[in-house]
Amino acid sequence: MWKQPYFAIGFSLMALLLFGSFAFEWIFGNVPKQIFFIEENGRAVEGPPISPKWEFPLGTDQYGYDLFGKIMLGGKYTIIAALAVAAIRMLIAVPFGYLLGTYLQKHRAWIGGLADSLHYIPLTLFAAYVLYPVLWMPPEGFANGVWERIAIQVVLMSLLTMPVVAVLVGNEAALLYRKEYVLASRVLGAGRFRIIRKHLYPQMREKLAVLYGQQVMETFIVMAHLSLLNLFLGGTKVSYDPLFGDPPMSISYEWAGLFGSTFRYLQGAPWLPLYPVFFIALAILSVSFMMEGYLRSKNPQVKKRKGIASPSENIVEWNKEQLREKMIRLKNPHDL
Amino acid sequence: MFSLLGIVLISGFPVLIGGLMEGELRLSEYLSSLQGVLKEIWPLQEFSVMNLRTGREMFLFPTIAEYILYSLQILFLAFAAAAAFALAFTVLTMLLSEKARERVKLFLYFLESLPDLLIIMAAQLGIIFIYLKTDVLISKIAVVGGDRIYWLPVLCLAILPMIQLYRLCMLTFQEEERQMYVELARSLGFSKVFIVWIHMFRNAIISVFFQSKKTIWFMLSNLFVLELMFNMPGIMLFMRDNMSPEVFLVAIFSFFLPMFLLYSVGEWFFLRHFRGKEVA
Repeated sequence: MWKQPYFAIGFSLMALLLFGSFAFEWIFGNVPKQIFFIEENGRAVEGPPISPKWEFPLGTDQYGYDLFGKIMLGGKYTIIAALAVAAIRMLIAVPFGYLLGTYLQKHRAWIGGLADSLHYIPLTLFAAYVLYPVLWMPPEGFANGVWERIAIQVVLMSLLTMPVVAVLVGNEAALLYRKEYVLASRVLGAGRFRIIRKHLYPQMREKLAVLYGQQVMETFIVMAHLSLLNLFLGGTKVSYDPLFGDPPMSISYEWAGLFGSTFRYLQGAPWLPLYPVFFIALAILSVSFMMEGYLRSKNPQVKKRKGIASPSENIVEWNKEQLREKMIRLKNPHDL
Repeated sequence: MFSLLGIVLISGFPVLIGGLMEGELRLSEYLSSLQGVLKEIWPLQEFSVMNLRTGREMFLFPTIAEYILYSLQILFLAFAAAAAFALAFTVLTMLLSEKARERVKLFLYFLESLPDLLIIMAAQLGIIFIYLKTDVLISKIAVVGGDRIYWLPVLCLAILPMIQLYRLCMLTFQEEERQMYVELARSLGFSKVFIVWIHMFRNAIISVFFQSKKTIWFMLSNLFVLELMFNMPGIMLFMRDNMSPEVFLVAIFSFFLPMFLLYSVGEWFFLRHFRGKEVA
């Protein structure tokens, strides 16, 4: 697995983003640099938001905070939250899916139908609908702390599409359950749990890994979408001051929040929403690199198939040639 | 039909979640809110929503129906475009050699990991850029007032589903390529184009059709973001502004019914096709 270049690239990219984020906080503290204007020959030439420059590679936001610093600080929240959401979802969905595929086979139809209803609801809207009471700050302030809210959000987001994943796993397990070798081990007296442990799980390990990767990617996207609705990871700080109300703000510097709160500046200061989304894209890309690398290391069929396919095709070609020669000979018997 | 029940059950969720936040299970309130929603909706003509922006009551017909229609138009136009392009590209790549095919697949696979947000923003910025350089406004980048924009949102919405469908098509087509009848057709001397287009296409399209449901789900989520970013007067934006269980239910049903019809008709059509073949 580690020798696969795709996996190595994806993994190192992800590790760089994650550990870079922790290292940045450790070295520079948890408040990004703030700058109010840039001076040139004693005159102020540019006020915040400052466009990307050599000194500030990604520019600064409307309050003069360095965007690069914000992105580096926020990375860990976004990445860990996405990984956690997908992990919790899989942890709940996989056992449930196996249950569905083995013990509850008779009930699979209606449970599947119920879960199918999720397929008609836009995921983002559903998430917003469910998470709004948790994340939107009421006028009297939040009832519970940041970490509590993050935990609730992560659990809720993982539960949202859990039924779909569980049914998926269940269908797959039910398919495998009908194979001959499962029947053989049942005849030999294996219980259902043993079959799950010894047959179904090892058979599906790769598929589950890919499913996990897909869930992580999906979570990143849903978080970005949620931020467009001003629902940020760990809650949205809302200013209820009627006169000098600040726009809704993210409490941490997580990427989705950076994007959502600056989306309105797309035309005036395009770097503000673009870079956070770009970093989200990088994270998603690293996950998809890892998935591709993992798959290639597990079944290197691409190479093998090519090796088998090309000689067999040669044989066909050669036969055709031979055939043609013979046919030509048949056609003109006088030549012989 | 259980899907219908599921949608109704979900529409009452915020009551449950709100209760959980305060550490209690409000099952009875949940049930009563469900009851209320169903009662509210039943005579569809009289169903109305308090519009928070204008402070007036809005009736489902014709006001909300207009929003729904616009959203559905965009959604299905984009889906049709995505499906058409994906199939065309699949047929084209199937004609390439094995090596080139793998390369094209890998490239598109990584292209798929671009978030839709980035594509929409790139499209908007690109149009502004072209406008600044050449003074030609290719398309409006946001809806202002009552007019509607079509092709730019459709394009933005179609790109990612197209890549997804393309991957799906490639998988099924390649699976199909290993079947015996393809080999037979090839040995009979039919050209590659003919085999791919006439034989494999017909068989692969069925399985692609049944798996495309997930793509539409993905598009629904994207449609929501699209309406938000283009400020389009669609049902999603309406739903965000007037979040209530009734609106939620009506909006979801408005997506559920056409999709359900599409897939039921498709299923019926393909199954009839199969049976006809078996008899013949």
